Amino acid sequence: MALAFKKVTVVVSEQMTVEDAEVLLDWLIKHPRGRINLSACTHLHAANLQVLMAARPRISAWPRHAPLAAWIKAALTP
Amino acid sequence: MNPLLDQFITEGRDILQTIGERLLQLEDTPDDSALMGELFRLVHTLKGNSGLFDLPEMTRVLHAAEDLMDAVRDGRRPFDRPVADRLLEAMDFVLALIDEIGDSAESAPPNTARHANDALELANALRSLLAAAQATTPTATETEPAPSPTPAAIPFESLPSRIQQELAQRLEAGEPLCWLTYEPEEECFFKGEDPFHQVLQLGEPYWRRVSSREDWAPLDELDAYRCILRFEAILNTPAEALHEHFRYIPEQVQIVPLQPPAPSIAPAPSSEPPPDAETAWSFNVVLEAQREILGLTDNPPWLSGRLRAVATTLEAAFASIGQAVDRDALQQALHSADASQSSQPLLHWLDEQQRLGDTQLPAAAPPPTTATAARPEAPEAEEPIKFGRRAEDRLAGHTLKVDQVKIDRLMNLIGEMVVTKNALPYLANRAEEVFGTRELAREIKAQYGIINRIAEEMQDAIMQIRMMPVSFVLQRFPRLVRDTARRLGKEVRLVMEGESTEADKNIIEALADPLVHIVRNSLDHGLESPAERRASGKPSEGRLTISARQESDRVVIEISDDGRGIDPERIRRKAYERGLIGEPELERLTDQEAINLVFAAGFSTAEQVSDLSGRGVGMDVVRNAIACVNGTVELHSQLGQGTRLQLSLPLSMAVTNVMIIESAGQRFGVPMDTVAETVRVARNDIRTIKRRLTTVLRGRLVPLVTLNDLLGLTIEQAPNGDDEFAVLVVRIGPDPLGIIVDDCRETIDIILKPLTGILAGLGGYAGSALLGDGSVLLVLNPRELL
Amino acid sequence: MKRILVIDDAATVRLYHRSILEELGFEVSEAVNGLEALERVAEGDFDLYLVDINMPKLDGYGFLRELRGKDMPQAPAIMVSTEAGANDQKLAFLSGANLYIVKPVRPERLASHVLTLLGMTSNGRGAPS
Repeated sequence: MALAFKKVTVVVSEQMTVEDAEVLLDWLIKHPRGRINLSACTHLHAANLQVLMAARPRISAWPRHAPLAAWIKAALTP
Repeated sequence: MNPLLDQFITEGRDILQTIGERLLQLEDTPDDSALMGELFRLVHTLKGNSGLFDLPEMTRVLHAAEDLMDAVRDGRRPFDRPVADRLLEAMDFVLALIDEIGDSAESAPPNTARHANDALELANALRSLLAAAQATTPTATETEPAPSPTPAAIPFESLPSRIQQELAQRLEAGEPLCWLTYEPEEECFFKGEDPFHQVLQLGEPYWRRVSSREDWAPLDELDAYRCILRFEAILNTPAEALHEHFRYIPEQVQIVPLQPPAPSIAPAPSSEPPPDAETAWSFNVVLEAQREILGLTDNPPWLSGRLRAVATTLEAAFASIGQAVDRDALQQALHSADASQSSQPLLHWLDEQQRLGDTQLPAAAPPPTTATAARPEAPEAEEPIKFGRRAEDRLAGHTLKVDQVKIDRLMNLIGEMVVTKNALPYLANRAEEVFGTRELAREIKAQYGIINRIAEEMQDAIMQIRMMPVSFVLQRFPRLVRDTARRLGKEVRLVMEGESTEADKNIIEALADPLVHIVRNSLDHGLESPAERRASGKPSEGRLTISARQESDRVVIEISDDGRGIDPERIRRKAYERGLIGEPELERLTDQEAINLVFAAGFSTAEQVSDLSGRGVGMDVVRNAIACVNGTVELHSQLGQGTRLQLSLPLSMAVTNVMIIESAGQRFGVPMDTVAETVRVARNDIRTIKRRLTTVLRGRLVPLVTLNDLLGLTIEQAPNGDDEFAVLVVRIGPDPLGIIVDDCRETIDIILKPLTGILAGLGGYAGSALLGDGSVLLVLNPRELL
Repeated sequence: MKRILVIDDAATVRLYHRSILEELGFEVSEAVNGLEALERVAEGDFDLYLVDINMPKLDGYGFLRELRGKDMPQAPAIMVSTEAGANDQKLAFLSGANLYIVKPVRPERLASHVLTLLGMTSNGRGAPS
């Protein structure tokens, strides 16, 4: 399982697969104020990126993996 | 199949063959840097070739192999067994793909996508070796090129001014900046693609943007799996590298090399390029390159030539966009650049020229200077076309590659020719005996002599074409021996000699399976384990030698090992246990005779049946296979010292010279190579000694048998009018033996065809042949008969 | 007719380049390594060189250095590499190449560069003589 759901935060593990996108989307629909913790993430599939861009959730922690963080920041902070 | 693909397959097989050989050589001499370099180059070449076609699986594996070889070559990773194993495995995969492509009749390579997983695994396996090496060598760098995004219409001005300035400086410094826009197709997720991954592979861009191609739907209507992303970036990566990176989805990316700004940053071309955008693009790339070259500060001996080449290039480039060039000024600039050994005058000229030409891309094509403006500014140095040179240039070599099928056809035709020609003597006889025209008969015979000579020469010529080096079958052995020895936990050095010895294609091909079997036998049963060898005072590494040589009209192949040899005592015992010999023979058989028992059907000496030699296939199969092409096998063994098998085969099996004999009212052929002589023996000279027929020939006692006995017929052999029997003296073992027949006739050349169908199981026959009069001749095999 | 020398040890690549260039109406000669290329050059001038990097006997860099060291008309040279490294490109330029492109080269791209380096206008591009 790539996602661990806390009360209002999803903690993303190392890799987010294409299947995770649907799960993530469902959760974000149900938790409009949900936060995402990406600190451990080293890669997420583009489908997840789409979900994040469409939902614009609060990112409680950016990926520690710098190249990934740079791209996600570029995507979520126009 | 298209010629390019054809060429790729042919060259690919050649290269793979050489790669395999070099890998094995490298295992023996891992420090041979020349060998290493060659190996790298071969892999590199093959990868380059595969890239010309849509063969991502092959390219992927070869790319990984190349990276690994590169690391090995640079000493970042030692060449060891895992490296050799992985590379061999990878090359096997590539060969399988090439075979698959070769088998398909399509003009384009078939889709090899179903091998994608294998390719991925192989590539990962190769790269894991690399990763292991890199972990210990932190200086190693990623080889993956870093591409970047492009815009549909680059809103250059929309970039932060800080970025604009930085880009301007970098472009001035000659960095190959590119603007990349990547718009993955909507259904790409369903194809297993991950555009984000692609983008992350590009490396760190100077600037980037991720956007959506349409507004995002409300979350509860969002289709997460319809990709509407757009990635943009500016990267310090040559456009070619970016094209390479997105090679399989070129329609989804736009890659625009950025130009150094004129006064301010010039926007890159718009999304819809003008008709000859390609020209303008190329012009810019070329100009940029010349600027970079002129910016070099080294001073090599070839500087003058380099400057002149730049001048030529610049002149051509401007001509290509139809911009007039002040050639005198250019020559002057070149001259002073040459004199001062500095690029400055040329750079200055280029600045001037670009200013004149309004610097930027031509808006439209200029009017042509001539009606056919193909070479408007052709350099004066141009020489008239040298006719005839082209043909010379194209002469690749003096070897012609011909499809085997064509040679086979030629062979069949000459076979028919030989048979047809043999009808002429019959015709001559008929002319004389039936029609009584002796004159005509003589003429026919004379013509026959001439045709016969030409046919023989033709046969010889065709046979020469069919000659192949033994290496054709030997080349697989280094790998086979290596792999098999490894599986058995044995250490074996393979020595091959005389690989260039040639023989007929059919002979060579017939040799393949028996040789494999013999070599496996040697590895399996002959050569001992390293421990066993050391215990008996031998070096732990066993030695297996395969040598080939020509001896008159035979090719002789010897396979010898320095293993444990064959124990005649054990053979006797086994043979007795299996009922192959009775008690008397147990005592009487010499050691050599005992050893030869391994050729008896159903004999297998293996204590335990291994998966290598298999069960039930013994040396008898080998001997029969060799005998099928008129070959013989001799086995010599010295207990504790090794085994030597000697195969002797005819150089050519195309034409067999047989003697026609008669017995029991039928005609048979007997191969002349088994016939020592034919004699007539009076009935009185035949004695019965120890219940065996014998006679004395030139003071020597020769045992006799009758052919009818051998054939299981109960008919007496018929003597001639003088009560003499015709005797065929054959030499099969060491001593001559006489076979009594009814009559010996002429000798003829025939094309021997092996018996097929239900007749194939019939022992004692070498095969059959069609005669000139249309009848079929059965050819005896005295070896089997006796 | 413009004469182009294609230098590559891979027969497949030579054939690939030849087919593109001949379709454009150029006369193509081949060499399998730098040494052979120098022999070709000694026999007559060329208007353009397509040079592979990795070759036995004499590689592309070596060939270019020799070529540029000669007192003769200097035609443009395209270095055709399989590596998209900035270092390789610089080495190519240092050695005397005028353009550095990466394999596999798309036919229209190669055509475009070749026409530019031979000074042919876009008019001439459609129907080269």
